[in-house]
Amino acid sequence: MIKVEGLRRSIRNGARTVEILKGLDFTIPQGQFAAIMGASGSGKSTLLGLLAGLDTPSAGEVSLNGTAISYLPEDKLAQVRGRTIGFVFQSYQLIPTLTALENVLLPHELNADAKESGLERARELLKNVGLEDRMDHYPVQLSGGEQQRVALARAFVLRPPIVMADEPTGNLDSANGAHVLELLLQMNRREGTTLVLVTHDPALAGYANRRIVLRDGLIVADEMNPAPAVLAGYAGSAKE
Amino acid sequence: MGALSYRSAARIALRDMRSSRGKFLFVIISVAIGVAALTGVRGFSSSFRDALLTRARSIMAADLSARMFQQPTPEQQKGLDAIVAGGAEMTPVTEMLSMASGEKKFDPLLVSLKAVDPAKYPFYGDVELSPAARLKDVLTADTVVVADDLLVRLHLKTGDSLKIGTKVFRIASVVVNEPDRLSGSFAAGPRVFLTREGLEASGLLGPGSHAGQRYLFRVPQSGGTVSDAAVAEMKERLEKLLPEAQIVDYRETNPALTQGLDRATGLLSLMSLVALVLGAVGVAMAMRAHLQQRMDTIAIMKSLGARSGQIMKIYLLQTLLLGLSGGVLGVALGAAVQRAFPYLLGKLIHVDTDLHLGFGAVWTGLAAGILTTLLFTLPPLLDIRAVRPILILRRAVEESDDPFVVGLWRKVTKNFAQVGAALLILAGLAAIATTLSDSAEVGRIFALGLAAVLAVLLAASSAMLAGIRYFLSKTRLRLPSTVRHGLANLYRPGSPSAALLAALGLGVMQIMTVFLVQQAVVTELHVTSAPNLPNVFLVDITKDEIDGVRRLLKAQRTVTAEPELLPVISSRIVAIDGMTAEQAKLKNFPKRMLRSINLSWFAAPPVGTKVLEGAWWSGDETRPVVAVDEHTAARLGVKVGSRITFAAQDTTMAATVAAITRSDGQHTYARVSFLMPEAALRGMPVVWYGGIHADPARVGELQRVLYDAYPTVTVINVAQALETVRAVVIQITYVIQFLAAFSIFAGVVILASSIAGTRYRRIREVVVLKTLGATRARIAAVFSIEFAVLGLVAVFVGVIFANGIARVLLGRLSVTYRFHWGWTLTALVGTALVTVATGWVASYRILGQKPLEVLREE
Repeated sequence: MIKVEGLRRSIRNGARTVEILKGLDFTIPQGQFAAIMGASGSGKSTLLGLLAGLDTPSAGEVSLNGTAISYLPEDKLAQVRGRTIGFVFQSYQLIPTLTALENVLLPHELNADAKESGLERARELLKNVGLEDRMDHYPVQLSGGEQQRVALARAFVLRPPIVMADEPTGNLDSANGAHVLELLLQMNRREGTTLVLVTHDPALAGYANRRIVLRDGLIVADEMNPAPAVLAGYAGSAKE
Repeated sequence: MGALSYRSAARIALRDMRSSRGKFLFVIISVAIGVAALTGVRGFSSSFRDALLTRARSIMAADLSARMFQQPTPEQQKGLDAIVAGGAEMTPVTEMLSMASGEKKFDPLLVSLKAVDPAKYPFYGDVELSPAARLKDVLTADTVVVADDLLVRLHLKTGDSLKIGTKVFRIASVVVNEPDRLSGSFAAGPRVFLTREGLEASGLLGPGSHAGQRYLFRVPQSGGTVSDAAVAEMKERLEKLLPEAQIVDYRETNPALTQGLDRATGLLSLMSLVALVLGAVGVAMAMRAHLQQRMDTIAIMKSLGARSGQIMKIYLLQTLLLGLSGGVLGVALGAAVQRAFPYLLGKLIHVDTDLHLGFGAVWTGLAAGILTTLLFTLPPLLDIRAVRPILILRRAVEESDDPFVVGLWRKVTKNFAQVGAALLILAGLAAIATTLSDSAEVGRIFALGLAAVLAVLLAASSAMLAGIRYFLSKTRLRLPSTVRHGLANLYRPGSPSAALLAALGLGVMQIMTVFLVQQAVVTELHVTSAPNLPNVFLVDITKDEIDGVRRLLKAQRTVTAEPELLPVISSRIVAIDGMTAEQAKLKNFPKRMLRSINLSWFAAPPVGTKVLEGAWWSGDETRPVVAVDEHTAARLGVKVGSRITFAAQDTTMAATVAAITRSDGQHTYARVSFLMPEAALRGMPVVWYGGIHADPARVGELQRVLYDAYPTVTVINVAQALETVRAVVIQITYVIQFLAAFSIFAGVVILASSIAGTRYRRIREVVVLKTLGATRARIAAVFSIEFAVLGLVAVFVGVIFANGIARVLLGRLSVTYRFHWGWTLTALVGTALVTVATGWVASYRILGQKPLEVLREE
């Protein structure tokens, strides 16, 4: 469960202070698929950063499964990130010097108990995303879609209760985008995770159970989607 | 914490290194050059120093000598035996005056006998004989070895007999050069070598004989060399054991040579440190640039749950690996350099240096390489903690526009780890400098000096940036856009200007310091190895002969410099500060010596003599005042203001010590320890001593001429021995120059690579400029302006500091400091040019890059 209370974030830019988030309150229960929407500059990515503990709010609080994370010391926060959250980014963010398999294994190496090997799990996930033949390839040797699939596998390797995705299909063509989304939703279902998806694409948001819409740092709409779209239809709509 | 195993961390580190080989090659080369300079310079200088010290020892033929004036007591003998039992070697040398004559004719000549044990004497150096032979092969109880002028005077030749005392000896050979000629007594009469048994058989060693006895000592070696500490320890021991004896170590025999060595050693250890710090600066710059480039990777890892400690582990391993590779490569390179030195210098140096790259040198090099690499990469490594994972979502992170120093100050106050790192670096440098120079003081000065320079450089850089900013705000749009852009580049956010400026300034300072100190030391050494120093001494010229001798010398073409003539009055000291000679408390100055004191007069300090304390008298001084040589003053326990009562013939005179002097040991005047105004000594019986410089090859000719005109004047030829000293000092200057050139070269290479290291940051900028239609020439012009300004500011600060430091260092080495406009200007222009050229070369590849290649990666 994700709980947000009075969340504010402003940044200093030279002499100017810009308020990006102006006080947000909401809760995302366990297992929910929530889409955060908004135009460019509405504060979506900033919110995601705060939800994931990548950044510190100027005021307010974020709690993940009952743990207040916003003001934790950096190393504790890193631990929370590693064990609680899986990430999928628009620009994949793979480590260029590590192979696909090593990239997937990395969260395990950083966070899990050293005694158990994450190798099996990493291989299995890569197989699930259709990359069993490309495990030893470096990111530069992979296409954008393949890289994002590696990132998907990496996000799920530690079985995190929450997965956050920032425009996961934004850099992909429609076919690859659809494939990645399909995999993301499949894995989300299989692992029973909470999924927070940041996008400006209404079609993509159509797959979510809930839509939170931001404008100028405030929530302007927060509505449940009684009939989320089904996957098969996405491939066509993504062309728009 | 720390689930990331060392294996995984190492793997990630290695992968990371493999992906940017070029850059890491720079780092490795920087470390390697630093370490190579360190091991090469140190190794070679220590070998060379050993070789030179052996030469210095040969001037005494021993490590230590003890001049005795009476037979050792049984107690003392026991102590001497214990010293020998402890591994030291000892051999007695007895010197005395006697008469010698050919066996057939009774035409006796005063000779100076020297009885030695040819099996042991000399411990260092060789007695050169003509025809060439070894002393121990020709000198037996029945033979003597004599100086050439004895043969001339007695009309004898090798193989003839010579009667000394009651015994007839066969002349076995002619002595050309004896190593300790300069340190023995300059008694009148040609030299005759004989064995101790021979001397005893001659019957001259009766009770009451005036034989002077010296014991020569060789300190046991450890690891092939004799340490100065061991010599000092032995000296102290002997001084306690033989309070009446005059104990001298080999360093006192020839101040020019030992001083030259000390200066050379000081300079060489300075150069080693410089090389190392320059290497470290190169590494710090490269690692900084590298980590800056890895910000994204670090942010990704953090978002995946990596703690700062884990990421630091990865990059720390990387640093260690780089330091180690650089260190190993450097040691190998250093060994090669060390081998190359004698080869390169082969024509100039004739000292056989025993090259040894000991384990000690290898470990020091490796450890210093790794340690400095670690120390200097500590700040960028600690910066990893400040990398925010949000970077991967939002590139525009808060940028403060604070000036650099304010930013730094905030960083310092917020970040105690960085302060700790800075202190650790200082402490580490001090430790390394201490180890390398074997002196805690040098270490402390070096580390603190470095800190001060860095602080000033940082302040200067912020002042410069503020100045440029102000200048641009006033003139912005009126400037040509290339200039505007070039200047603006200096203070753009995230610009490496401050760090680069610090690195460049530090580098320029160090290179310039080495250069200035080297110049001054070499100039000074040239003075002390001047070719016109006296190498032939004349003893016992009477008052009536002196003018004639002066004229004769003037007419000789072999005499190449103005003769140094010195009046000497034999006297004795009867009281010091009211205590009689018997009561006086002397330190290793035999009371007997108080009865043979030489006085001389001078209106001004003679050439080669400096006043250390007190003041010299004016030309018309008539009161009895005296200037005393520092060593004698210490032994007699007198200071400026002390009163010494001298007696010569029937006159007694109480003189006040007006000055304590130091002599460079190169001139005849150094033979007299007490100098007074002429008026005070008027009317006393005088003999003259002379020192002249003659062409070493034609001294024999001069000896004959002098003997014909003034048969009673003794001529002592030390030309050969002095040539040795001169040659050694000249070799020292060559080595200093060569090693300094090497250090400077290494410094330039490292600095160039630091500048080159910043090129990775420019890629994006170049691409944007190109996309907007900038030509390569234009971009190059922008960079040139940026680099030129950086170079000029750095060299300006660097040169000021270099002059300051050189001044202090030279002061400590007692060498005169001079400011050189020419060199300063050369450094200014040269550095600016090198900075621009390197910046150019380093940016060349980037300039050729297609914009899309980079933009696509965004």
